[in-house]
Amino acid sequence: MPYPEQMVAPMRAELTEVGVQELRTPDEVDRYFARKEGTSLLLVNSVCGCAAGSARPALKAALEHDSRPDHAATVFAGQDLEATERAREMIGPVPPSSPSVALFRDGELVHFLPRHLIEGQSAEVIARELTAAFDEFCN
Amino acid sequence: MGTFHDTSDPLHGITVAVTMNDSVVVGRCHERDSEKVLLLDVDEHADDAGEMPRSEYLARAARFGVWAKHERLSIPAGEVLEIQPLSSYYTRPGEAAQPEIAGVSQSKPGTEDSAQAKSDAVTVEIATEVPGTVQSAVNLTAAAAQEVRRLIAAGENEGPGLRLGVAGGGCSGLTYKLEFSEPRDNDVVVAQDGFDVYLDPKSSIYLRDVTLDYQGGLGGKGFQFNNPNATNTCGCGESFAV
Repeated sequence: MPYPEQMVAPMRAELTEVGVQELRTPDEVDRYFARKEGTSLLLVNSVCGCAAGSARPALKAALEHDSRPDHAATVFAGQDLEATERAREMIGPVPPSSPSVALFRDGELVHFLPRHLIEGQSAEVIARELTAAFDEFCN
Repeated sequence: MGTFHDTSDPLHGITVAVTMNDSVVVGRCHERDSEKVLLLDVDEHADDAGEMPRSEYLARAARFGVWAKHERLSIPAGEVLEIQPLSSYYTRPGEAAQPEIAGVSQSKPGTEDSAQAKSDAVTVEIATEVPGTVQSAVNLTAAAAQEVRRLIAAGENEGPGLRLGVAGGGCSGLTYKLEFSEPRDNDVVVAQDGFDVYLDPKSSIYLRDVTLDYQGGLGGKGFQFNNPNATNTCGCGESFAV
C-alpha cells in the first residue's frame, strides 16, 4: 500500500529538483526508454531510509560528475506501481530491487546497482560507485 | 529523509544470507531475537536441490539479487549457523581476492605475515551476542598493542582509545578505519593493557576474526589488517569484501 503522498513528496522532489525526470505512468516509462541513443539512467526510488535515504543524495552528487548519463529518470517503487512495473520490464531479467540504479547505453542495460549493494553504504560511497560506472559507460 | 524503521539492530533492513546446515536463505533482515530470525522478501537455496552449488548461488545472488519466494520467513534461531550481509559475497567479475587498503597494507590470509600475526594475537571478544549468529572477535598482536600504547604516550591523538572500524569504500566494498577517538554511544568498548578499543556495532560484524598487526622498522609495513574472511577488493584498490 502506498504511503501518503505528502510523506513521499520530498523524496520525489529531492531528485526532480536536480533535473531527474520522474516517470509516473507506464506511458512515460515507454517514452523515456523509446530513446535508444546514448546513455540513460533509471533510479528506482523507495521510501526505505536505510538505502534510498543514501541513494538519492548519491545520485545527485554523481550527476555532477564530469562524465554522466545523457538522461536520468526515476520511478517510485511502492508508490507509482504501474510505472515501476513497466520500468522493471525494461531492466530485464534482474530481480526487482528498490532502491536500485540501472544504467543503459544505446538501450542496453550495462550496469545495475541493486539494493543490497546500496543499503548500509554512505551516499559518498554510492556516488563513487555510480561515477565509476559513468566513467566506464558514459564517455 | 525517509527512514521508517525503528530499531537498533545493525542488520535491520540489510539484505543478508542466513546459512544453515543444508541450505542458505537470502532476505532482508527484519527482526532478530532469541527465538528466531525474521526475513522479508526471501529466497532459499537447498544444497540438495541440484540447481547449483551454494557458493555459486551466493555469488549470483550477491551480484544480481534474488527472486523472492516468500514475503516473510521466520527461521528458528537454533538452525542458524551464520548471518552475513549479502554484499559480503559480492565479487566483481574478473577480480581476485587481494585486499589492499589505502594507507594500511594487508597481507593475504595464509601467508607468513598473517600466520605470524595470528601466532601472538590477543583476542578481543566483541559483545555482539545476537542469538543464532556468530560471535564477533578482533585481534591485536602484541606488537600492535605496544605501538598503540607508544602512540598514546606520545600524546598527539584525538582521543584516549583506538577505534577500529569499517566504512563503505570503493565500489560497494568496505574500507578499514583505524584512528584514535573518544568513545561514542553504542560503542563496544574493550579494555586493553593501557588503552581501550572502540568498535561500533555495525563494524564489529565485519571485523570478526580480523587481526591488527604492526611491523615497525625500516622494512616494516606499519599497521596491518589481516582478514581471513576477505575475499576480494574492488577496482579502486581501497576496499575489501568479507
